[in-house]
Amino acid sequence: MLKTENIVSQHQYRIAGLVIWILVCILLGRYFQIQILEFERYSSKSNTNRIRKVTKNAPRGLILDRHGEILVDNFPIYVLTAIPGEMINRGLQFKMIADYIESDSAVIATNYNKYYRGQFIATRLAKDLNFDQISRLEENKLNLHGIYYDQIPERYYPSRVKAPHLFGYVKEVDRVIRKSLINEELYELGDLVGWTGLEKQYELFLMGKRGISFYEVDAFGREVGPALELNSQNPDPGQNIQTTLDLNLQAFIEKQMIDRKGVVLVAHPESGEILSAVSSPDYSPDLFTGITTERDWAEIQKDPDRPLLNRYIQGTYPPASIVKMIMEAVLIENTDFDVDVTQHCSGSYQFGDRIFGCWKPEGHGDVNMTEAMVVSCDVYFYKAIRACKIDQVYDMFIAFGLGEKTSIDIPNEVEGLIPNNDYMYKRYGRFGWSKGSLLNIAIGQGELLVTPIQVLNYINLLATRGSSPVCHFVMVGNLPGNVHPELESTTWDRIINDMRAVINHGNGTGRKAQPEINGMEIFGKTGTAENPHGENHAWFIGWAEYLDEKYSIVILLENAGSGGGVAAPLAKIIFSQFASTKNLAFK
Amino acid sequence: MIHWKKIDLYDIPWRILIIAIILTLIGLLALKSISYHHTKTLQNPFYKQVIFLLPSIVLSVLILFLPRYAVHKYSFIIYGAGIVLVILPFLDSEHAGTHRWLNVGLPFAVQPSEFAKIFTVIALARYLSDHTLKMKRFSSIIVPFILVLVPSVIVLNQPDLGTAIIMLTPILPMLYWSGSRPFYLFMILAPILSILTAFDTTLFAIWAIVMGSLIFIAQPKMSIGMSLFFGNIFLGLLSRPLWEMLKPYQQNRLITMLYPEKDPLGAAYQIIQSKTAIGSGGLLGKGWGAGTQTHLKFLPVQESDFILSVIGEELGFVTIAFILILFGYLINQILKYSFLSRDRFSSLVLIGIATILMSHVFVNTAMTVGLIPVKGLPFPFISAGGSFLMTSYIMTGLVMRLSIHYSD
Repeated sequence: MLKTENIVSQHQYRIAGLVIWILVCILLGRYFQIQILEFERYSSKSNTNRIRKVTKNAPRGLILDRHGEILVDNFPIYVLTAIPGEMINRGLQFKMIADYIESDSAVIATNYNKYYRGQFIATRLAKDLNFDQISRLEENKLNLHGIYYDQIPERYYPSRVKAPHLFGYVKEVDRVIRKSLINEELYELGDLVGWTGLEKQYELFLMGKRGISFYEVDAFGREVGPALELNSQNPDPGQNIQTTLDLNLQAFIEKQMIDRKGVVLVAHPESGEILSAVSSPDYSPDLFTGITTERDWAEIQKDPDRPLLNRYIQGTYPPASIVKMIMEAVLIENTDFDVDVTQHCSGSYQFGDRIFGCWKPEGHGDVNMTEAMVVSCDVYFYKAIRACKIDQVYDMFIAFGLGEKTSIDIPNEVEGLIPNNDYMYKRYGRFGWSKGSLLNIAIGQGELLVTPIQVLNYINLLATRGSSPVCHFVMVGNLPGNVHPELESTTWDRIINDMRAVINHGNGTGRKAQPEINGMEIFGKTGTAENPHGENHAWFIGWAEYLDEKYSIVILLENAGSGGGVAAPLAKIIFSQFASTKNLAFK
Repeated sequence: MIHWKKIDLYDIPWRILIIAIILTLIGLLALKSISYHHTKTLQNPFYKQVIFLLPSIVLSVLILFLPRYAVHKYSFIIYGAGIVLVILPFLDSEHAGTHRWLNVGLPFAVQPSEFAKIFTVIALARYLSDHTLKMKRFSSIIVPFILVLVPSVIVLNQPDLGTAIIMLTPILPMLYWSGSRPFYLFMILAPILSILTAFDTTLFAIWAIVMGSLIFIAQPKMSIGMSLFFGNIFLGLLSRPLWEMLKPYQQNRLITMLYPEKDPLGAAYQIIQSKTAIGSGGLLGKGWGAGTQTHLKFLPVQESDFILSVIGEELGFVTIAFILILFGYLINQILKYSFLSRDRFSSLVLIGIATILMSHVFVNTAMTVGLIPVKGLPFPFISAGGSFLMTSYIMTGLVMRLSIHYSD
């Protein structure tokens, strides 16, 4: 069958055989060298010395405020570890440790199983040991084989500022978390990883690089010195990040927001830097460090006021009358609209078979555009907006960045909702909706939902005539691009002029925001959002011009009442604070 | 068809199988010693190996019934199936970050690249045993290279550098066996050496002199000799600027692939632990189950890649020497059958299998004592690993089948 003859010569066979035996001899020679000639050396090394690898967590980078004050720091805590291979009677030892540190041996055993990685790798048993606990363990050290303690850096919050939603928190990497990380090879069990907020967004800066040292340990597990044949690496601390926050202003506003539910954001419109961001109710940032008991955690998760929710990027609210600047822009730019023509407000307006009410049932009488803005007359806008299409309104919302993520530099921002023609068709069908929906949108109700951070960007754009960069929390060189609405300069003039009147006019809904400080001028708009979850939400958005600088503000108070009555007075308190805070300088 | 009666049972070289079984038993001894802490049977490398052993031996005996011409006839189909096999893991989800493993619904995953090694050898043998082939021509060695490069490039992407290298090794001895000029083989190896030596001026100078003299001795045509020499020098000079052009992270990736022991956390640590374990074993070893080093679990893959460290520590130099000499004898036997074989196809398959086994032994053994960079390759018959154990016994069966002296 197989006809081709074998042509291997005796010569070739001998050479191949020679190669095989040369290779075998090389291997044998090397084993001979190690096992026979160098036996003494390796034998003593194996009898008295073993090499233990110890990793040292790098301290995470600090989080600073705009002036360099420390907001988030590290603090060394004691953790109790065990080398599993050196323990003699595990169950008994756990019981003894539990006695000394007044804990439960079941908890210690759970930790042991959670962190176990190998016979000779330090396994965490307990953390946050205090000095008493350490000294009691130290007294009984002779009975505790293979038990050690170690210091690790943990997050700690030295300032008066809480801002838990902004800072976010870190988690300890366990097996499940490690699996879920994109770059899992960078993490070991017990390392910290940024899980939310700035800690997550800037993880690659903050994390630093773990250090490793190798120790020789004797047969009893005692360290006898560093292993010289292997290079140790010192931990490399993470990079600090400087936020745009002003510590004093943030602390002040947090204090104002105790017992209130909602959001306050303060920014510098020209740079997009956020000076203060409060989402209330909040929780102590310490919640996730130290010993968070299951009960604390369950309690905070079940709280009906949802303190864990970061309201300024994840809360969506009807914007109500704060959209009226957009309506002004739509009307002036899209129609041959005469701002001086008055409309009559009798307190309600019948359109088709539906009656649309004004917030003031007795009506505002005859009002022109500026007067309608000042008193926030709804009927004026119902009537005026009939000349427009829903998509013209939609385009203007989008031009001001509403309905889209602002690319704020903390994770999990939501989009909110701005309806357009397509959306309405999909949602209600061809004939399921009518122009009446547009009337609702004109006063910021209906399907509209916005996040406070979008509103901050909106007010920044108004304050800078469309040129404000994106809002951000950390000083970085390269910001993502922002939307830049382009309006006629006369349109900007009109809108800004009307926002000033809202504050300064005797009937202005925003008059309670006027702090009456020499040299400070205020622009603003209030909003009172009807919502299905009870009492109205109160909005105030605006900015102050003071000593050649602008400070923008967004206030949203959930279920608190009317914007002019509740939100505007809070704005006044904060505006007054600008004047008394010396350090609010820029650049 | 094969007629069992025609084969004299004494003709079958049973000693090949017996050597394989002896080696596996030594391996099981070491596995039993280190697997005391495994509680679940299926995760216990000792029981896993035992479970795989019986079907492996049965398979190697069954191969004796395989007609020689059938292997020859279907070798390219077998090769094609091998290519499909190594691509399949890419369609499966990742196992431990690689595409080496294939989930086939069994409690364990299969590593198809192990089996593909044999298929590549068979296809190569088939091509090189074509009686119309003019081996003196340079072009005749291009096709064999394509045949081995296709599966090994796929395996390299799994990624599995060790197996990819093993797949490449049989080509040189097989080309040598089928009578291609050693000078051509040198021409193929030369560029690789030129690139590797280029990073050290002295080495490169020595290489240039060696290369020059070899070309001079071989006496090719003047133009070919000159272009070969200067082409290689040029390539060597070019490789450094090309290296500089890579981004630092790309350089790092290449360095850790070629020299994993540069990573102080991984391979360097393993090598030191492995050498301490082996060295402290001495002549007779510390005794079965008494290896302090290996039992401390310093070596992460002691049941497969570092099994020799366990044997060296517990059973000493005498056992290591026994294993290596027994293996040398086994390979030498295969070479002998290859030399005595009447047809070229069988002869080539035998030398190919001998090369694969020897490469595994050399790379694995040299790695445990720090002679070469750490490459994850198991020791044939001894290391734990179902797919590779089975492959090794299939090779044993093929060796026995192709060594039988009778014509069919």
